[in-house]
Amino acid sequence: MNYTKQIQDIAAKLFAEGKIDVFVGYRMNGFDENQVPVLITDPQDVSKLVFTDKSVFNLVNYLKTDHTRRKRVGIVVKGCDSRSLNLMLTESQVKRENLYVVGICCEGVVDDAGEKMQNCTDCMVPDAVVSDEMLGTAVSGSGTLTYKKNADIVALAEKPLTERAAYFEEVFENCIRCNACRHSCPLCYCAKCCIDQETATLYNGANTTSAAFHALMTWSLHLAGRCVDCRNCEKACPSHLPLHLLHKQNESVIYENFQEHLAGVIPEDRGAFYKYSLKDPDDFIM
Amino acid sequence: MSFTTFVTDKAGLQKFYEAVMASRETYAPVEKFGKFDFKRVARLSECDPVSPIAKTLSIKPLFFPRTAKVMKYVATSAGTDVSEVDEDPLAVKRVILGAKHCDARSLQVLDKVYNWDYIDTDYQKRRENTVIISTRCDKADTHCFCTSLDYDVENLDALDVLVVNGADGKTYLEARTAKGEALLGETFTSDAVRVTKEEAAPEMKKQYDAFAASFRLKMDYKEVNAKLAKIFDTPEFENVSGNCVSCNTCAFVCPTCHCFKISDEKVKDTGVRYKSYDSCNNGYFTLMAGGHNPRPVKYRRWRQRAMHKFVYYKERFGENLCVGCGKCTISCPVNISIFEVVSQVSAAAGNRQ
Ligand code: SF4
Ligand code: SF4
Ligand code: SF4
Ligand code: SF4
Ligand code: SF4
Repeated sequence: MNYTKQIQDIAAKLFAEGKIDVFVGYRMNGFDENQVPVLITDPQDVSKLVFTDKSVFNLVNYLKTDHTRRKRVGIVVKGCDSRSLNLMLTESQVKRENLYVVGICCEGVVDDAGEKMQNCTDCMVPDAVVSDEMLGTAVSGSGTLTYKKNADIVALAEKPLTERAAYFEEVFENCIRCNACRHSCPLCYCAKCCIDQETATLYNGANTTSAAFHALMTWSLHLAGRCVDCRNCEKACPSHLPLHLLHKQNESVIYENFQEHLAGVIPEDRGAFYKYSLKDPDDFIM
Repeated sequence: MSFTTFVTDKAGLQKFYEAVMASRETYAPVEKFGKFDFKRVARLSECDPVSPIAKTLSIKPLFFPRTAKVMKYVATSAGTDVSEVDEDPLAVKRVILGAKHCDARSLQVLDKVYNWDYIDTDYQKRRENTVIISTRCDKADTHCFCTSLDYDVENLDALDVLVVNGADGKTYLEARTAKGEALLGETFTSDAVRVTKEEAAPEMKKQYDAFAASFRLKMDYKEVNAKLAKIFDTPEFENVSGNCVSCNTCAFVCPTCHCFKISDEKVKDTGVRYKSYDSCNNGYFTLMAGGHNPRPVKYRRWRQRAMHKFVYYKERFGENLCVGCGKCTISCPVNISIFEVVSQVSAAAGNRQ
C-alpha cells in the first residue's frame, strides 16, 4: 500500500486550484521509518506527504482544532478514519462542503514492530465510506465481512469474575490520568469534557484508582456506539493500557443487541444511543 | 571525601541488589502492560534494574507523586475542620534501583525549584531518605540526548551508587555520595574486591566512550539558550507545534515538569484535597476565573514549554529544565520531539540580534 505519489499530486492540484487552505496528511517523522501527521499550508511542502501502511494516526482528530476550523481542508482517511468523519458530519462538527476527502481502500496499517494492527485484522470496513476521491482498489468484501468478536475480550470473558476484576483493577491503577486518550480521539471533540481534571465536577483530577476507573468508564460509555476502533487512544496512552477492551466490549454488546449497529458506516446514521427502534431489546429493563 | 569503588561480576551485583532489598524498602522498574514503572519490590525477580530506556517511566513520582493528599476536611455547622494527612511514609529509608542517569539528574534540577521561595518539606524528606542506584546506560536510545546538556553524565553525582558494565565484562560499583558510600559499606562486604578509583578508571572510561559515541542526537545547548531567548515572537513555533493534539502526556511523563493542580474529592461534608500533575500544553492551563486565557492557542503553549525548559528556568536557576531523556517524544502520540522543536526554532532564529 503506497499512495505517496497520488496524494502529493492531489494536494498540489487542490492548492493550485485554490480549493483548500490546509492539507492534513502524513510525513516521515525524520528519524526512523515511522510517520507523523502533518498539516500543510504551503503548497511548496506537498512533497513531504507520504502514505503507506505506516500511516497510522487517525487524522480526523485534527478537524477539531483551530488549525482546520472554518477552513477548507484536504484530508486523507482510511476505512476507520472515514467512519469517525461520518460521525463528525452527522454530529454537526464539520461541514462537508469545507472538506476534500481522499479516501483509501485500506489494506491495513502496522504497529512499530511491523505487525499488522489488531483492529486492522478485525476490520469490517477497510474502504473509506466517505470521500471525494478514492485511492486503491476496493478491498474484497469491504462492508460485508462477518463480525468477529475481539479475541481479547473473548479470552477475558472466559476468566472468573475475580480474576477479571483484578485485571481491570490493575489497568486503572496504572492510568496516570494524563487524558491523552481523550485528546487523541477524534470523537472526543467536546471543548469541556466531564473527565477533564480542570473542569472536573464529577470526577476530581486525582490520580487514584477510583478516579481513573470513573473517568475511563465514563469516557468509554460516551464512545459506546461511536468508537470506530481506530486505536488513536491506545497508541497515545503512555502506560500502554489496553483501552480497546473497554471499547470493543461496548461495540460487541451494541452490535449483538441493536441490529448489528456499527458506528459511522452509514452517512447520517445516528449512533445507537441516539435513535429508537421498536426492535430494540428491552428485556434488561426491570 | 573520597569514595570507594568495588569490582565484582554479574552474580556479585545480583547479591548486592538482593542484600539491598532485604535491608530497605526498594523501588525498581516493574513491567505492566509492556511499560515499566517504578514500584515497590520485594524480590529481584519482580523487576528489571536495566529495563529498556524507551519503555521506562521516570522516578519523579517517587518524589513528586502523581497524586498526593494535601489535607482532609470536615464541614460542620460551626465551620470547617482541616486536618493533616499523614499517610505518606516520608520517614522510611528507601532505595531506588534501576534509575537511569537522566532520571537521577532530573532531581538535581527539581531541587532548585523545591528549595526556592517555598520550601517543599515533603519533597525534601523524600530526597533525604532515598538512595539512588543507577546503572550507566550502555547505548543511547533514539531520542536520548543527555550528553548534549549542561551536566556531566560521566561524573554524575546526582546518583548515590553508580553501576558500570565495564568493557572488560566486569561490573564496577562506585559510591558518588556519602549516602552511597554508607550503603555500599554496609551491604557490600563479600564477593567484591575494593579497588582504587585509578585502577577502575580505564575500563569505566572505555565503557563511557563507547556509550558517548552511540548518540544520534547532539545539540549545542548554549546556542539554543541564547537563540531562544531572542525569538519569543517567531512564527516558527506555529510550524513545530502544528500537529500537537494538546494531549498533555509529554508533561505527565517528563521527569522535570513540576506543574500541578488542586482538586477535591468530597462526599457529603467530608473531603480530601489532592495535588496532581498538570500540563502547560493543556488548553485550560492558563484559563483565568474571569474567562480570559492568555494562551488559547497551541503554539503559545508549546512556546511556553520550550521557553520554560531552555530559557526561563536556565535564567532563574542556572539549569536547563530538560535532562534529554526523550520520554516526551517516545510517549507523544505524534512524536513531537523537544530536541527538534528547540533545534528548529533556534535555527530559524538565524543570527537575529
Ligand atoms: S475511543 Fe479510541 S479507538 Fe475509539 S474512536 Fe476514539 S481514539 Fe479511536
Ligand atoms: S492515556 Fe492512558 S494513562 Fe493517560 S488517561 Fe488515558 S488511559 Fe490513563
Ligand atoms: S522535556 Fe522531554 S527530553 Fe526533556 S526532560 Fe522532559 S521528557 Fe525528558
Ligand atoms: S538520556 Fe538516554 S542514554 Fe542518557 S541516561 Fe537517560 S536513558 Fe541513558
Ligand atoms: S505529547 Fe505530543 S501531542 Fe501531546 S501535548 Fe505533548 S507535544 Fe502535544
